[in-house]
Amino acid sequence: METNQLISGIRHRLMRSGEPTLTGFNQITTIKSLREHLQVAIELEHSTIPPYLFALYSIRENTNDASARAIKGVVMEEMLHMILACNILNAIGGKPAISHRDFVPKYPTYLPHSNEAFKVSLQKFSRPAVDTFLKIEKPGGKDARPEPDHYASIGQFYEAIVDGLKRLAAQGNIFTGDRSRQIRPEQFYGGGGGLIEVYDQATAEEAIFEIVGQGEGIDGTIEDNNHKLFGEDVEYAHYFRFNEIYKEQYYKPTDTPKSGPTGDKFPVDWNQVHNVKENIKMSDFKEGTEERNMMHQFNKRYCDMLRVIHETVNGKREKLEEAVMIMYQLKYLAQGLMNVPMGNGLYAAPSFEYVE
Amino acid sequence: MENKEYDVVIVGSGIAGSIVAKTLTQAGKQVLLLEAGLEAGMAFDTEGAYKNYQDYMRSYYTALAKVPNAPYPDVKDAQSPNVLDMAQINGTLDKGYFVQKGKLPFASDYARAAGGTTLHWLGTCLRMLPNDFKMRSVYGQAVDWPINYAYLKPYYEMAEREIGVASDVSDQRYPNVGDDFFGKEYVFPMYKIPQSYIDKSFIEGLAGLEISLNGDTYLPWCTSTPQGRNSTPNEKYRHAATVWNTTTQKLELQAFPKKSDVYVPVGAIWDPYAGQRCEGNASCVPICPVQAKYNALKTLKSAKKEHLTLISQVVATKINIDTSTGNITGVAYKKYEHPDSKNYTEGVAKGKIYVLAANAIENAKILLASEACKNSKVVGCNLMDHAVLLTWGLMKDKVYPFRGPGSTTNIPTFRDGKFRKDHAAWISPIDNWGWGWPTGSPDTDLDHAVSTLNLYGKDLRKHIGDQLSRQLLLHFECEQLPEKANRVTIDKNYLDNIGNYRPVITYNVDDYTLKAFKASKSVSDQIFAGMGVQDYTNYPSNEPDYTTFDKQGYVFRGAGHVVGTHCMGTTKENSVVNDKQQAWDHQNLYLVGAGNMATLGTSNPTLTLAALSFAAAENILKALK
Repeated sequence: METNQLISGIRHRLMRSGEPTLTGFNQITTIKSLREHLQVAIELEHSTIPPYLFALYSIRENTNDASARAIKGVVMEEMLHMILACNILNAIGGKPAISHRDFVPKYPTYLPHSNEAFKVSLQKFSRPAVDTFLKIEKPGGKDARPEPDHYASIGQFYEAIVDGLKRLAAQGNIFTGDRSRQIRPEQFYGGGGGLIEVYDQATAEEAIFEIVGQGEGIDGTIEDNNHKLFGEDVEYAHYFRFNEIYKEQYYKPTDTPKSGPTGDKFPVDWNQVHNVKENIKMSDFKEGTEERNMMHQFNKRYCDMLRVIHETVNGKREKLEEAVMIMYQLKYLAQGLMNVPMGNGLYAAPSFEYVE
Repeated sequence: MENKEYDVVIVGSGIAGSIVAKTLTQAGKQVLLLEAGLEAGMAFDTEGAYKNYQDYMRSYYTALAKVPNAPYPDVKDAQSPNVLDMAQINGTLDKGYFVQKGKLPFASDYARAAGGTTLHWLGTCLRMLPNDFKMRSVYGQAVDWPINYAYLKPYYEMAEREIGVASDVSDQRYPNVGDDFFGKEYVFPMYKIPQSYIDKSFIEGLAGLEISLNGDTYLPWCTSTPQGRNSTPNEKYRHAATVWNTTTQKLELQAFPKKSDVYVPVGAIWDPYAGQRCEGNASCVPICPVQAKYNALKTLKSAKKEHLTLISQVVATKINIDTSTGNITGVAYKKYEHPDSKNYTEGVAKGKIYVLAANAIENAKILLASEACKNSKVVGCNLMDHAVLLTWGLMKDKVYPFRGPGSTTNIPTFRDGKFRKDHAAWISPIDNWGWGWPTGSPDTDLDHAVSTLNLYGKDLRKHIGDQLSRQLLLHFECEQLPEKANRVTIDKNYLDNIGNYRPVITYNVDDYTLKAFKASKSVSDQIFAGMGVQDYTNYPSNEPDYTTFDKQGYVFRGAGHVVGTHCMGTTKENSVVNDKQQAWDHQNLYLVGAGNMATLGTSNPTLTLAALSFAAAENILKALK
């Protein structure tokens, strides 16, 4: 039984995949292409994490609790999605590549394989930042079709992957991956929703439902119905959580996606934010300065973490513990940077650049 | 609420009350739960729960003495005892909430707040040993329980699921227990919490050390301590929930529906993503900042909301008794307006069955105020606690205390043995918090180094680095036998802010326990000598619980294990409740909590009282049929 109707909506849409009316798009027809697209999926999930973390870190300690918790929850789910995508790729005999120069986007950037409608920046917690987050998580809309290469919504992209999974599975067993490469729930935690071990079509689709359901949560087809959508037990989708911040208002249990949030005022203090430089780079500082070293240290740890995660999803799943330890350090390193003045009232921040 | 008759009225939202409330509501019963503390924390909305807990955290950070109750609101209308009020007694000690009239002060506290004392418990989850239930027949001491270990075993499993206990069965080795203690297939919901570095050093040091006690030779061993805090789920654990089976009329552990399902650690009540693993914050007592440690609010939150009515700021004052049938007809209460005001409204809550779950001392107070359970003449008697003897010293090498949860390892060797004919058994936890408990480390070490030794700069750093990193603290938590003279009474001369009774406590420690001080101190001396630990233990005669035995002075502390006062037993003359935890004198009254325990054993009582609470819930469901 599906308790979250937002997710059941997306499930319904994903179920449609493979119907005759949907043959007109650029389909995924080879296992090689499917693996490539899942690698993109991993990169796509990861590409959202630095901007969310950047905004989260920029919020002053003990302020904007509700917003900080909403963003934190979303970041954790993005991490879950990234690992879920790794599990799917591992299940079909692929090898996730997490730690290489091109894995870390250079912000501002378009989302990988998107229709390049908007760029994503590293921005402090602010209205424009949340506006970008809304664009990232925006639901697909009623007539959106699967789209592996130039999608407008992340849901379309995954729909194309589900379609490819189904087509290829019908031609023979594609789930040839070693199950010992799967990250299991006991290794992964704190990411909201269970981690799913993927070994067949059903578990692969379950994993994708989890990803898309948590992100967009909804499509146009249920926009018009009047079901109760925002009960307090429903951990609703990212889009709606960000929309509460943007509109500075909570959803009420009786609200619909169309009505928008009409509940109590959602407390946001846009001033309780470190005034950090947007899309900052290490090259903004002179080589050899302490500030530059701090930036480098953060990026080094970030890339260390990616390396550990790479090992984790390539047969050493017990390594995940190590990555968690690094995540704690990253927060403190980022907070340190945000106290470094750059002139003009601006402060430094982590740049999320790839370093060896 | 007065117009409504509930199936069950429960007094107290600690672990006992919450387990009964959850079990009954999930079985479809209508439950009214009365909590004496503030609403804080009971709120089902995540925002409220979060804000409230952050307030607790702020109080904790600013408190000068970070005692167990430091983070929690001090409410005059429903006061909690505070260990800072303990002092030596000359006649009467009338300070804080307790009135103490015994030879020695009762030195433990509890929290009157939503979630009860699990807010500040350490989280140790040890089962009692089989012999703990039959002290009379095996050792000729105290009494036997009317139930035994085998009876309680399935309920222990339910409690371990509810709390979410992290431990490895293969590690657990106790004296005088068979292979069936856990059962061959049993696993805990989560793997053990990693043992600390200090534990590892200690375990190495203890290996092979021969200890002589009462002319016998022992080879003490260490085991990891089962704990109610989140760690890595054990994929072999297969229990999804505890459910009421209407056909068999039993509570049963239900298996996960799918093979791929695994136990999911229960995170913070405001955010399921927080607290999924213990983060080693090391402030377990008094407060876990991320709620990786279990507290009863988690159980309360998983009760079936539609069937549960929660009312806070309601202090049960007495139960009304129909003198012709002995049945309870209501719980009379006072609802205060503001935490410290003298204004309150009175009312009576009505149900078919009544459950007192308000801590052993509070339960006794309510029974005494109501003149209930009079046949037994032991209401309020048999108050017990673990008398904790501490020993401390400096290890040879740096062992780096102050890391991880309070205690992750214990020596179980002396939890049972023939010596119990003569003196108390004990458990020895190894502490991860340096000398914090006896001396106030690390703050006091710094103070001493600066003000007394006049150290500064590099010398100061070196001194602190050398001293603090070698601190070792052992506990010897000695059992206490039920004694009629150790008791809670009430006196109309000692009332609280809204005219309710304050507990008047008479307490002492008898020779059975004192002998264990001497015995355990000699074990400690042998361990310290064998491991080259430089002993710093001292027992100043001005400490509240200073006592002497065989010409030696000892200082013991309360363990926070408030047990006894309405013991379970075999007859209505020798006990307050029967083996169903039902009051002998009042058919529709059940008492739950550590108050029911007939003897103490050497386990921290929470797991046992949680297991007993499941058993009580099952009995109540049977009675409600």
